[in-house]
Order: sequence, then C-alpha cells, then structure tokens
Amino acid sequence: METRKQVYQIPVGPVHPALKENIRFVFDVEGERIRNVDVKPGFVHRGIEYMGMRRNLVQVLYLAERICGICSISHPIVFTQAVEQAAGIEVPARAQYIRVIVSELERIHSHLLWAGVAAHELGFDTLLHLSWKVRERVMDILEEMTGNRVDYAIPMFGGVRRDIAPEQYPKLTEMIRYYRGLFEELSDTFLRDASVEARTRDVGVLTPEEAHELCAVGPVARASGLRKDVRQDWPYLVYGDYELSALTPEDYGVAVHGDVYDRIIVRLLEVAQSLDLIERCLRDMPEGEITSIPKVPALLAQLKKAEGEGIGRHEAPRGEVIHYVRLESGVEGPVVWKVKAPTYSNLMPWRPMFRDQEIADIPIIAASIDPCMCCMDRVHMVREGANEEMAKAELLRLSWEKTRRMCG
Amino acid sequence: MNTGSVVQALREGVGETLPEPEVRTRTVGVAKPLEIEELWVDISREALLSAVGALMQLAPVHLSVISGRDAGEEMELLYHLAVGYGTEGGEVLLTLRLTLPKDDLWAPSLCELIPGAETTEREKREFLGVEFAGLSDNRNLFLPDDMTAHPWRQDDEQTAGLIRRTVKWEERDGDA
Repeated sequence: METRKQVYQIPVGPVHPALKENIRFVFDVEGERIRNVDVKPGFVHRGIEYMGMRRNLVQVLYLAERICGICSISHPIVFTQAVEQAAGIEVPARAQYIRVIVSELERIHSHLLWAGVAAHELGFDTLLHLSWKVRERVMDILEEMTGNRVDYAIPMFGGVRRDIAPEQYPKLTEMIRYYRGLFEELSDTFLRDASVEARTRDVGVLTPEEAHELCAVGPVARASGLRKDVRQDWPYLVYGDYELSALTPEDYGVAVHGDVYDRIIVRLLEVAQSLDLIERCLRDMPEGEITSIPKVPALLAQLKKAEGEGIGRHEAPRGEVIHYVRLESGVEGPVVWKVKAPTYSNLMPWRPMFRDQEIADIPIIAASIDPCMCCMDRVHMVREGANEEMAKAELLRLSWEKTRRMCG
Repeated sequence: MNTGSVVQALREGVGETLPEPEVRTRTVGVAKPLEIEELWVDISREALLSAVGALMQLAPVHLSVISGRDAGEEMELLYHLAVGYGTEGGEVLLTLRLTLPKDDLWAPSLCELIPGAETTEREKREFLGVEFAGLSDNRNLFLPDDMTAHPWRQDDEQTAGLIRRTVKWEERDGDA
C-alpha cells in the first residue's frame, strides 16, 4: 500500500491544554509527530506597562504586584529595586532579609503548585492532590505573615510594610521541619516512579546550546545544564552573603538530559535550597527599622523629585524578572517602565522542545516551562480543510491514555 | 568577569569610536557588603553587532530584554545584556543605549548572533514601530494580528482614541 506523508496544521489555543491560560500554538504534525510550532501569545495582554506610565509610583507598585498571581512578590521586589536605584533610596538591613524570606516562601509554593499541575497532566491525580495538600502549609505561613495568600503587599520603596513578629519565628521553623520531613517522600513519588519517568525522560529536550542561544531562564535553563541563576550571578539584596549556587540535575547525581524529568529534579532541589536559605536568613536577620522613609507623604515627595534610571532583577520561581524604570523630576509616575517576566524568555525555547515529539506530549511539554500567561480551554483541529473542535478534556485524555499504555 | 574586561572587549569590537562608558555602582549585602558595578554605554547603529559579537567572544551573553523610550524626535532602545553568567557574582549587567531618529527608524537585528532576541525585537517592532533589519518574522506577537497602532509611542493617536472610546463606554455602562 502506498504511504503518504502529509503535514497537517493543528492550532492549539488560544485556550491552553495544560494550564488555564490563553496562548495559541500552531503545530505542524506529520502523523503523530510534531515537526514545527508557531507560538502566539498576547491574548491576555492587559497593557500593564501602558497603564503604569500613567499612574504614580506607589499605584504602579500595586499594579506590578498584580502582573502575576503566583509570583506576586517577584515584580514588586524588582520594581522597588529599580525605583530605589533611580531615586537613590536606601533599604535597611532587616527589610532586605524580609524581602528574601518572603520571596523564598513564594518559590516553595510556586514549585509545589507546578509539581501538582505536572502530575495532573500525566494523569497522576493522586500526586496532584498530595502536592497541593502539602502546599497549603506554606500558604498558611504566607497568610499568617502577610495577611494574604496571594498579593502579599510586602515591599515598599525604602523597605517593607510588615515585620516578622517574634511569635512567628517558631511557626516558620516548624514549617521548615515539616517540608524537610516530606522531601524524601516527594522525591520518591516524583523521581523514582516508573510511570513519571516513562512519560518525562527524554521528552521535550532542550540542549544546553539551545538554552543558551535562545536566552532560556530559570529552572528551564538549569535543567539543561546551564548554571544560570540571578541570585548566584548578580548579587542583590542579601543573596550575595550566602554564596548560593545554581542547581542542575548534576547536583542530584545524574547526568543532564535537558528533558521534562530534569525540570522536575531542579524544582524539587530548589525547594530544599529555599528552606535552607529561609533558615539562614531567620538566624542572621538583625533587629532594626524595616523602612528608611516611614511617612508616605515624605516618600511621595521624594519620589516626585527623583530623576534617573534604574534596573531591578530577581530570580523569580520561573526565572529572571527584569524591570527598567526611568524617572523624571516633576512627574509622579515612571516615564518609561519595561517589564520582562520569565515566560517571555522561555517562549523561544518551546520550539526545540516540541520538535519531533508526540501530540499526546503537548500538555506536559507546555507545562514543563511553568508558563505564566492566562487561560485556555479548547483546541481547534484543522484536518483536510475541515474545522474540528477538540476539547481540552480530549487532549488530556490522549495524554492519560499514553500513560496507561506505557504502564501496561 | 568585571566591568574592565567588558569595556576592553567593547573597545576591541567597536574601535576608538566607542564613547566613554558610564559606570554605576550599587552596594549590596549586609554581612558581606559588595560593590556591584554596572555599565551604560551609548552605541551607534553601525557598531551594535560588532559590540555584541565581541562580548560573545569574551563570555556567555544573555539578552534580558530591550527597553524602549519615545523621546519625541528620537527613539531610544536600551539593550540590557548580562555578560558572563555561571559564576558566583561573575555577571556584568551592561546596557547599550541606541538612539534612532524617528524619520529613519530601524536597527540591525541581533537574531543572527542571539536567536533568542526574536521575541523582544518583535515586541519593540509592534509597540514602538522600530523596524529590525534581518528579523525574519515581522508579524505582531503580543498585539492582535491586524492592529497597526504602536501603543508605547507618544504620537500614537490610534491607541489614545481606543482608550478614550473604552473610557466613554465604561462610563455609560456605569450610569446604566
């Protein structure tokens, strides 16, 4: 029988198969294999930078917090850094420690959230429930410390808005003990499980060369063997005091494959790293002021007079965040505000990751970079000119079936 | 990696025409305070590629993002590059400032050297209207496919009109 190889185009989105976020992929597929992909983001572009350039700096700080609901301290940390550099504002030592502690707590909850999503994409829902159950502990601590589960409103220009009370210290150390006790169980269920390994080993590979050329950031770059971590490379706040190293799968004692499995390893190792860091910060944190300009009118007056440029950078759970701010005297808001979130840098690396992979692997590869856009719930399939609509449930079913097939 | 070797590489790449780089310092850390230097250098359109090429010979280069500013008659592009990642405290943050006249608004694309520059160049193209010579994909990335406005430009009437209409519509909605 004559075999024909024809390339079909499958648009996936703007409703996402893996996370509930809007993005459109157009896959060129040959049989079951993906040959190429075109990525189109922007369906939830809210014009935040445009809005920011028309508001005063304190309002922009709150707006920055709402760029992302998961890494909701990363953007305020970076924005305050950039404005403090531009306006020449000092940050007291204790406030620097508090910023680091909250951002490491955020890393723990973000990585556990991702672990649950990844397990769900593979059809391993018991693991999803386990990951999200244990994540509640850090969410409780965040609520206890800041009053909120998301959008903590901690950084303010010149310091932070809330201190850590003495009675909260034991709760934090107890949380650290809790997660350390769980680490073995979590790494056992994720990394020594045959079905997880079968679905993620050598799937969605990104070579170190590709990761470098395409400017990949965060756990995606590190899982490909690049020792790239803003906390290590470019000291800021108190990270420079702790001689942090970027973690790659080699630190777990395995060779680098650059696949989805390696991205799980890196994120799990980073949870442990964050626990160590929080513990050390709590030990070293000095007593003292938490802000250098406590009075808001004085702060606003100083900001209005400020003139200059500033850059802030931070290693968010998903990778590098950078903000550029330009202030001009007499103008209340930033004249220029540019925000770069980690997923922006990890868009291009998706292309080599998807190449030559199967359709059933789309959800887990898409989820493996821990994308942060906004949501999607159906898929359009164009086959021989006819428009077929494919539900998110259908793609997930394909993914789950593959797991069952592989596990016999 | 330090700012000295980055400046030297830039001088080798660009030649004597390189303007004097500006070094800004910030102090970080509490227990072990460190002075971190960052570089701001003005660059010309002609020298951009050779400057980035020379940096890539020196150390791994990460392009964080390109920022842009509409300065009235001119457009300013700021290339934020992190040179030399992978070692503790060994990265130099460098900003190359490229100023372009508005009536001849184009810049050379970095995609040949850094393929990852595509996302940020496409974004600058749609939001500021800067054309990139050598950029193979000129479709809108974040904006709708058929949108021709450049929202971050001061002289963009189309976006301003869109906002006015939305505000008007929302006010009417509130009254009802």
